[in-house]
Amino acid sequence: MRKHIIRLLLPTALLAALAALPSPSRPAMAAGSLPDKGLVCITSPTNTFNLTTNSGSISTSDGNTIWMWGMSIVGQPFQHPSPNLCVNEGATVTIALSNTDPNAAVGRVNEPVSLIFPGQTEVLADGQPSQPTFDGAGAMTSLAPMAAVGGTVSYSFVADKPGTYLYESGTAQSKQVQMGLFGALIVRPSAGSTFVYNRADSQFKLGEEYIALLSEIDPAQHQAVELNQPFDYSTYHARYWLINGRTFPDTIAPNGASWLPDQPYGALAHIEPYSAANPLPAALRYLSVGTEDYPFHPHGNHERVIGRDGNPLADGTADLSYERFSIPVGPGQTWDALFNWSDAESYNSISNPLPVTLPNQGNTTYGQYYSGNPYLGNRGTLPTGQESYNQCGEYYHIAHNHALNQITNWGTTMSGQITYVRIDPPGGCH
Amino acid sequence: MGRPQISRRAMLKLTLGGVAAVAGTGALSTLTRRGDGILDAAAPPPPPKYFLAGTDGWISLPGTPLPPYYPDTLAPSGKSTYVFGFADATAAGGATRLVNTNVRALKNKAQAMAPIMYFEENVPAVIRMTNLGLQQRPDLVDSHTIHWHGFRNQIPMFDGEPTSSVAVPVSRVMDYYYLPRQAGTYMYHCHFEDTEHVHMGMTGIVFVLAAQNKTGNGAGAPIARSNGGAALAPLGYAYNDGVALNDPRSTAYDREFVMFLSEVWNESHWDDAHIQLPDWTDYKPDFYLLNGRSYPDTLAPAGGTFDAVGQLVPPAGRPDLVSQPYSSLIKCNSGERVLLRFANLGYTKQSMTLGGIQLKVVGQDAIQLKGRDGTDISFATNTISIGPGESYDAIFTAPTVSVETTFLLYNRNYDRLSNGGTGAGGQMTEIHVFPAGTIAAQTAPHTNP
Repeated sequence: MRKHIIRLLLPTALLAALAALPSPSRPAMAAGSLPDKGLVCITSPTNTFNLTTNSGSISTSDGNTIWMWGMSIVGQPFQHPSPNLCVNEGATVTIALSNTDPNAAVGRVNEPVSLIFPGQTEVLADGQPSQPTFDGAGAMTSLAPMAAVGGTVSYSFVADKPGTYLYESGTAQSKQVQMGLFGALIVRPSAGSTFVYNRADSQFKLGEEYIALLSEIDPAQHQAVELNQPFDYSTYHARYWLINGRTFPDTIAPNGASWLPDQPYGALAHIEPYSAANPLPAALRYLSVGTEDYPFHPHGNHERVIGRDGNPLADGTADLSYERFSIPVGPGQTWDALFNWSDAESYNSISNPLPVTLPNQGNTTYGQYYSGNPYLGNRGTLPTGQESYNQCGEYYHIAHNHALNQITNWGTTMSGQITYVRIDPPGGCH
Repeated sequence: MGRPQISRRAMLKLTLGGVAAVAGTGALSTLTRRGDGILDAAAPPPPPKYFLAGTDGWISLPGTPLPPYYPDTLAPSGKSTYVFGFADATAAGGATRLVNTNVRALKNKAQAMAPIMYFEENVPAVIRMTNLGLQQRPDLVDSHTIHWHGFRNQIPMFDGEPTSSVAVPVSRVMDYYYLPRQAGTYMYHCHFEDTEHVHMGMTGIVFVLAAQNKTGNGAGAPIARSNGGAALAPLGYAYNDGVALNDPRSTAYDREFVMFLSEVWNESHWDDAHIQLPDWTDYKPDFYLLNGRSYPDTLAPAGGTFDAVGQLVPPAGRPDLVSQPYSSLIKCNSGERVLLRFANLGYTKQSMTLGGIQLKVVGQDAIQLKGRDGTDISFATNTISIGPGESYDAIFTAPTVSVETTFLLYNRNYDRLSNGGTGAGGQMTEIHVFPAGTIAAQTAPHTNP
């Protein structure tokens, strides 16, 4: 039997287990409680979400442990990033944020917090228009009404535009957003849950919906917060870059991986080739809470950008969408893309072999995701001692930030903002 | 589960040398193709058009000393900076493109930027790549690959991303096969330990000439001059635009130049020469290069010719630029349409500004700027913001002048124009516009007559 791909992550898991701060009272997210892949949504029949501030540690793939703040559904453990909230177009959404971090640690959330909803209009806070707040001397204290420690603010708005949005702290943002008070808000169009927008050409394959929430971490800042010490923001220097709160290779672990108990969201896309029988693309929602553009580069094929910041790229019926091999997601932006991969040349070893002779095994270096055979769905003999995570001859294409200094973690290379697209042979691995 | 399969070709147990001998005799025009453009299985592959040799070397950058990192005390006379890169072994390898003595002599002769490569849309193409090792770092036995950045629907074997297929160890060779189906401007680089290998200089530009060059189009655009068209026809079309020459959506051009952006962080280059490792999260470039050189060297003459044994001949009067063969000086006549193919394989975003002439951006990431229904989304600008891994195709029409007139193309991020110290430097070059009819037609991409 082939080793399953998740075996790759075991060393990381062990490191994480050794390094993570113990929290005996915390229930681990049950393995298998989430689908392996794709966007995991939290929904509410009343479109009401009761969030609490929370805090905890995440693990990075260089073996480090980073103190984070976050938001979680009341009663649920800390998670990073904060939950993906999904609502339908037209819903009146209520998000009640309680500033009730259950943690006792000195570095817990112990200051006023608030939420802003970029892209939403006519947001109310406790029934009044949400707007910046000021102290008695006229200095701004927050972009939105705050929940004092122990208090609650209830924000509401009508989600009238389908698309991909952020929700994030509006208070001391350089600290609170960096510490993790952010999450994704998905507004599904009335056209249906397999459409990104109310356009027929925004349809994607059921189950093929992915999210890439991009962020970065300066560990010195997080250590200062953990120790409840001041931090000089003029010294800010990111050392970690994350997708959905994980660094590669953790990014390709399944949703809800047991060894990443507080980082539930994976980023591995898993598709089958385009064909007449499999015509619909996958959807990918990019968001960034970073400090600069992340030029995200998918290998294998261009992606078609169909929306920006909750707006379809269209002018009436005219299509303004475009294909890109780099998706430069800027701070606070969201980009909606569709993608697929076609077995364009239909190579196979019998009737349509590769037109050039490949060097033999001893004259190449094998990669750990290679099957040993260049044809989709085939496996070959591997060099003695070669590690392989390939299951059935499926293909892998990397997708990564092309500011290549950011696919490292504080000196560790081949980490940071990297994930993969796994392409199974038609019909999947059997 | 699929049982391991052995391809028919592998059964032939041909060595690469044997294949090269076969390939060397096969002319492209004799290939048979099926209706879908796929090579017939019985046809030989086309001979490698380009032959790249991955190795290390030394380049010359003009700047303010930054001891101990720049200039590197280990550098040979006239050089300043240690690099990895691709040497152009096409001439050294001869018609059979074999790893012969001349090719092996290119070890430690990497060039910056890597050779400009171009292919024709829908015509099969092969790039041969060998790994000559690193003379300065014999302890580093890194493999190399070619990643054609942006190639559509690529299979992992020819994608060059080493975890998903294979890489080429020292003293080995591999043929990468492509059937480019989409015109436009791409880039290529080694993807093995890519943070290091890309920054160290294993980067270059590759573009695909539009099929419309051969046929013109039904809207009246003629066959391009590059394909035997009339003397007054455009040299080429950036894309299969399908429109008449006077249509605002036309992508016709009379000259084409490459504007390839990269960066040098002195400390990391010094580290690689001195058996050290940088922390890449400290990344802070000192030099910003245009086509492998930093201003004012961008204006120095082009090199790029080869001697009898396939070694680069230095540009006239500049032996220090022997491994940096590409000038960035543009010469054109009033009224001519000049295509600039921009690509950025640095790690930071740049703002390339053309002072005094408007640029029309017709393509991005090797895609003509139009919606799925054909809606024109090209745009005019003076400044192209270009992030890492992005490409842009921009066309300008040279203004009417009565005497030779100079325009400046430069990075609007002025702090990056100082070569790591004071004075003018970095990503900057000149465009010299002459009165109509003054200078001869362009005969090859990125050349002046």
